[in-house]
Amino acid sequence: MNTQEIRDKVKEIIADVAGIDPGEIGDDAHFFNDLDLDSLALLEMGVDVDYAFKLGAPDEELKELRTLPDAVALVESYLARKAGESRVA
Amino acid sequence: MRLNGNRRRVVITGVGVITPLGDDPVTLHGALCEGHSALHEMENLPDGSLPPTLAGELRWFDPRAYLAKGNLRPLDRTAQLCASAAGLALEASGWDAERIAADEVGLVLGTMFGSMRTISEFDCRAVVDGPSYAKPMHFANTVINAAAGQTAIWHGLRGINATISGGTVSGLQAIAYAVDLIRCGRARALLAGGAEELCFETLYGFHQAGLLGGSAGGGEARPVPLDRGRNGFALGEAAALLMLEDAESALARGARILAEVSGHGAGFDLSRGSDPRQGEEAVAQALAGALADAGSSATGVDAAVLSANGSVGGDRAEALGLERVWNGGSGELPVTAPKSMLGESLGASGALQVVVVIEAMRSGLLPGIHGLAEVEDGLPLRQATPESRPVEIERGLAVANGLAGKSCAVTVETWAS
Amino acid sequence: MSARVVVTGFGLVTPLGAGSHEIWERLLAGECGTRRVASFDPESYGVDQGGEVTDFAPGAYFRTLDPNSVGRATQLAVAATRLALDDAALELSTLEPARVGVAMGTTSGEAREVEAFDDHLIDGRRSPAPTEFVRRYPCNLIPELIATELGVTGPNLMVPAACAAGTYAIANALDSLRDGRADVMVAGGADCFSRITYAGFARVGAVAPERCQPFDRGRKGMIPAEGAGVLVLETLDAARHRGARIYAEIAGYGLACDAHHMTAAHPQADGAVRAMSAALAESGMSTDEIGYVSAHGTGTPTNDRLEAMAVRRVFNGRGRSVPISSIKSMIGHTMGAASAIEAAVCSLAVAEDRVPPTIHFEQPDPECDLDCVPNRAREVRVGAAMNNSYAFGGYNASMIFRSCAS
Repeated sequence: MNTQEIRDKVKEIIADVAGIDPGEIGDDAHFFNDLDLDSLALLEMGVDVDYAFKLGAPDEELKELRTLPDAVALVESYLARKAGESRVA
Repeated sequence: MRLNGNRRRVVITGVGVITPLGDDPVTLHGALCEGHSALHEMENLPDGSLPPTLAGELRWFDPRAYLAKGNLRPLDRTAQLCASAAGLALEASGWDAERIAADEVGLVLGTMFGSMRTISEFDCRAVVDGPSYAKPMHFANTVINAAAGQTAIWHGLRGINATISGGTVSGLQAIAYAVDLIRCGRARALLAGGAEELCFETLYGFHQAGLLGGSAGGGEARPVPLDRGRNGFALGEAAALLMLEDAESALARGARILAEVSGHGAGFDLSRGSDPRQGEEAVAQALAGALADAGSSATGVDAAVLSANGSVGGDRAEALGLERVWNGGSGELPVTAPKSMLGESLGASGALQVVVVIEAMRSGLLPGIHGLAEVEDGLPLRQATPESRPVEIERGLAVANGLAGKSCAVTVETWAS
Repeated sequence: MSARVVVTGFGLVTPLGAGSHEIWERLLAGECGTRRVASFDPESYGVDQGGEVTDFAPGAYFRTLDPNSVGRATQLAVAATRLALDDAALELSTLEPARVGVAMGTTSGEAREVEAFDDHLIDGRRSPAPTEFVRRYPCNLIPELIATELGVTGPNLMVPAACAAGTYAIANALDSLRDGRADVMVAGGADCFSRITYAGFARVGAVAPERCQPFDRGRKGMIPAEGAGVLVLETLDAARHRGARIYAEIAGYGLACDAHHMTAAHPQADGAVRAMSAALAESGMSTDEIGYVSAHGTGTPTNDRLEAMAVRRVFNGRGRSVPISSIKSMIGHTMGAASAIEAAVCSLAVAEDRVPPTIHFEQPDPECDLDCVPNRAREVRVGAAMNNSYAFGGYNASMIFRSCAS
């Protein structure tokens, strides 16, 4: 999955949580400043992102997400780690 | 003569409804009077889960039409129904955002389940995928008062916020609870009524319990109130809220007054539906209480909107309870039962009945009982008819008889200061 | 002038056991009733502490109904009701059944019935269908089944107001008695331990890993629990007439909604301040007359900070010195039962001039600059006690109990 695909999927999740159209979300969107998410919605988004990509990321990392690029980077790092693990296995 | 001449009087200054037969009281009443039934075979049931099932589904509901600005995602369906009806009731009664912000408007919501769908989905996800995938926003809505809380947030209602769960009596109980809060001076303006979603989970639960039309003994569903061939009810889905205000403050702000809620009463059947005589007595207790509270005799009531929904024992208890208080005279009382067309919308149903009383009072037309072929032998309600007919109502009555135990009655009358 | 209403009995079913005065003594002794969850395997939840009611035999409290025919929350509630009536030494048979009512609150009602229902859905509906679901689950059954068990037909109400539900129910009972709709009301709250509640609080990171430490700088959260609390309420005249022991008078209450957020409190504690102020106004009392505050005190960082702010805003300078403790440090958060159990605590504090501690307290938090009665109960002239409770939905509820001795 490339960065664009990941970003699109994450946008879809954010759009659902924020109740807006994915097209309204900029590539650099800030969850609090641009999208008006509260901490509960942020956690919901983190859970949904983790669920969609089956990351298994700890809450501490999910709660730190502030922007769309943060979320995309988190997904990419976990997917890369998982790919590495599966190669080793 | 009023028993308590100097207590605060409670008036209705606006109504908001979301029902399968319309989103305003006039349209709803018109559809009921024309005998339009909302009961159809339920769509989109999980394969093999249930036989074809009649229900009063709200198929056209688009929350965006009522809740224009803001994120709808935190609101589950019950909350969306409630917040939509609340918006309509606030608008109808002249409570704009500015007025709401300057005052403390409250909300008393009757609901049987809150959202069974939300609770069940939250739980299933946590069990199937593991607790770390439990949905935080759904969790906030698993509490039974979620719809009332979400509605307060949406509309900025900072006054007393409460939820009343009394099964099918919830809606009338919520109105009674709100009336008491206003009478004792704890609130001046409260939205009161009920909301209930229709979902697979509740439908399945009622079906398994054998309470739906035809679900006990097979055969075709006949959810026709009071009818000799009735065999259980059909579920429905709706929200209905009344704006209740202290009469003095309503007049002071120049509000239009639709009617007065003049009395309420409650009863309880210790046999919880197993002993018909006690069931009738509980209904009678509620009716007598409401009449006493309103300072009225039975003959002072011009029409009654019943909770009869097609359940065999429940409808009978309600009819015979009425007869106990009317003392042989209930055969002359015009009655109707809107669940014949709307289905049993549980927590919302009692408030819908009050809306029917108000509209019948305004229009002079009482809806009929759709599909009524013949009233069960032994039930003295001779004025139950399949067609609508003219009535002149100064004082009307809504009564609710619960699935097992609870009864409530509310009297509504034309406003005279 | 409406009737004065007093508390004449209380029954508690808590993680510290079921009883009346014996549970009160355990709270005063600072005992802790939370431990590893046993009713389901907590392994996958990331946390494992809970406040479950153990060694509970419902049969001892049921005389009319079959305890197996009702859900667990109802079992807990009926037990608390019987305990409260025994404590009040009230013989129901001497009363007109229609003059005795029941008002109860809950957060989730019979949540375990939903769990069983969901298990059936999850296994593809292969297990036997839950035919009794709608006859066991709806939360209105809790007060209805109490009424059936007691044989009383007076006002009957379920007000599900989440974690402030007990106060909502007691408030309704107060109004029913004042308005003359009943002569005796049993009122309180109940909730059963549930994987639904546990998963939710665990998921939002609100559950403490080891202990509940309200107002402590190092507090890490709440501990979900179950229980029931029920009070017997009657008019002062009736209580005096039958020579009842009177714990306290209910002087007033206030309910307010933040209309801000479902789960987060208002940042300036707006609703909490309005609820406390309304309770004081109705009671005709000043904060100087309040000798004890039972805190909501869940032990989450945010709740306790905002609660301290609310108390400071209402009590001004006295906010630092009025004793304010949270029994949730000992029994966890019993959800809909919590504010009812705490109402009993307030009544007892008023009656006995003893206040329970906040246990597990180690380090003061400058943001919670309160006298939280750390670790040891205290003997202090109480006079009047305020019970504060907050809930999902932005609910704020405050109630004041005062001495009837004068």
